[in-house]
Amino acid sequence: MDTSVLKVSDLQKEIQKKLIIKGVSFDIRAGEIVGFLGPNGSGKTTTLRMLVGLSKPTAGNIEICGHSLKKEFVKAMANVGCIIEGPDLYDYMSGYRNLELLGSMSKGVTKKDIDEAVALVGMENRIHDKVAVYSMGMKQRIGLAQALIHKPKLLILDEPTNGLDPQGIHEFREIVKNLAREKNISVLVSSHLISEVQLMCDRVSIINDGRIIRSASIDDVLVTGEVVWILDDPKRAQSILRESFDLDPSIDGCHLRASVDSGMLSEINKTLIASGFDITYVENKKRTLEDLFLALTEKHTI
Amino acid sequence: MIALIRNEVMKMLWKKKMPLILGLLLIFVSLLSYGQNYAYERNIEQFEAESGTAAFNWEGLTTQRLSELEERSQNEFIPEEVRASIDREIEQLNYFIENDINPVTPTAAKFNVSFAEQGIILFIPLLIAILAADLVSNEFSRKTIKILLTRAVPRWKILLSKYIALLIMTTLLVFIIGLTTTLVSYLFFQEWGFSEPIVTGFTLFEGTLNSDSTILIPRYQYTLLIYSLVWFVSIIVASITLLISVIVDTSASAIGILMAALIGGQFLQFFLSDWELVKYFFVTNLDLTRYLTGSYQPVEGMSLNFSITILSVWAIGSIAISFIVFNRRDVLV
Repeated sequence: MDTSVLKVSDLQKEIQKKLIIKGVSFDIRAGEIVGFLGPNGSGKTTTLRMLVGLSKPTAGNIEICGHSLKKEFVKAMANVGCIIEGPDLYDYMSGYRNLELLGSMSKGVTKKDIDEAVALVGMENRIHDKVAVYSMGMKQRIGLAQALIHKPKLLILDEPTNGLDPQGIHEFREIVKNLAREKNISVLVSSHLISEVQLMCDRVSIINDGRIIRSASIDDVLVTGEVVWILDDPKRAQSILRESFDLDPSIDGCHLRASVDSGMLSEINKTLIASGFDITYVENKKRTLEDLFLALTEKHTI
Repeated sequence: MIALIRNEVMKMLWKKKMPLILGLLLIFVSLLSYGQNYAYERNIEQFEAESGTAAFNWEGLTTQRLSELEERSQNEFIPEEVRASIDREIEQLNYFIENDINPVTPTAAKFNVSFAEQGIILFIPLLIAILAADLVSNEFSRKTIKILLTRAVPRWKILLSKYIALLIMTTLLVFIIGLTTTLVSYLFFQEWGFSEPIVTGFTLFEGTLNSDSTILIPRYQYTLLIYSLVWFVSIIVASITLLISVIVDTSASAIGILMAALIGGQFLQFFLSDWELVKYFFVTNLDLTRYLTGSYQPVEGMSLNFSITILSVWAIGSIAISFIVFNRRDVLV
């Protein structure tokens, strides 16, 4: 499917005469998990708040499943489930009553939908306890359940794993990945945790100082174009690569490094093997998202 | 929409505000009716001790008063309106004598009215504030406003459902006040007194309150009249509280602001009753029931109709501003 579930164009937000979001554009296709990465104060939450109608953009357009958020709020929001900055629930009621209450606000939510959502987040045993006695992890699960009861096409999660233990983070990630895979739900997840984005998302948009500074698939972002070989005679390999492929490899101990277009890599390897090299290791070197993130954001101060 | 309203009523019930209010009411009503009964019995004892008679003879006193009034009524020189009101009182006293009822006995019907009359300016608005102050502000301070406003429901519908739920609960509260005062005081007085006649300056004449002549109506009608005024005032106070609740972030400040307005308003009225502007403040106009009992004018130029108009303007203004603010507000919690 190539239709955009969420389409944001030139979104701007001014708070107290200061431009906080300076023209953000991106879109999300069906079944895609997009990470929204940025340091604290970069405008992640402010952008997400505008996407779910909690605050109004100063300029720009938001379209959800083809419905303008501004002009067709109800139709647009019917396709959205969200957790914005922590799962805040009515803590004087049970988890189940919270879900009932919120479910009744959307059209066509049945008891079965609620039970399914509860089962999905694995809260069957404690669902009738008061929210006030839940742990953070339980609240986060109910938070996810409330975002899912009306079967949205787009899930917007703002720092969803804050306050969860490693086990909880892992489970949460698996649930979200399954949703995207099996129900074709698109997910926009903001985070300042790089590893989380790397493990969960297909694409990443890096935001800093109210602007998206990089937006690409995780693989593209991480590929540096550098390939490393470990082979028996690096010197000879170096000259072959120079002559046959017009590359400029460098030798670092027993490592041979070169900037290679990934399409050429298999051709190079064939030539090397044909020339009688004993290749023990080839790696298409990836940089960590952390390096990229720091490189992109270090210059800016909040 | 009905689901939304039901949700809001459920939330109010789950917050257990009603038991708190009911508890407060029961304590005050019990104390007051006990006190009133005690004072009444003391009075009779004192009277008996002073007059030296074995039994308190109310009939004698009433008959004495009756003949006085009849004498005055015979007087040709008194104006016609005064004669009319004297005739009403004669009629009233005759009822008591014929039915063998002591006119000064405390009854449930008298108690619920006097409770409403005393409570209408402070106690009842305070109960309404307990109910209404956290309606919106609590959603902000607990951050639950985020899950409420990210549903496929326009904001105005959410506020409207809250307002309607508030009106339902306010109406229920007025019923409860009427019921508690009547039932609890009956336990102490053992008298209903709903059919006793009462002289009032007001009649409901073709749907409007007419204050031109005095008239005799049964107590139950008078109670209904008083409580419809209490209901009206409660709705006004609820609407104004809604506005405060929309504007401030915590229910504590909402209750605080309303309390300050109520008490500050009484001060204004007390110290600056000759200042024209004071009569346009809502607190000055809350005491609607006092217009029924005589020529009451808290500030020069005020009347029942004037007060009702001013209160309505305040309420409508509050609701309008509430909706505008709520619709525009950026949720940043």
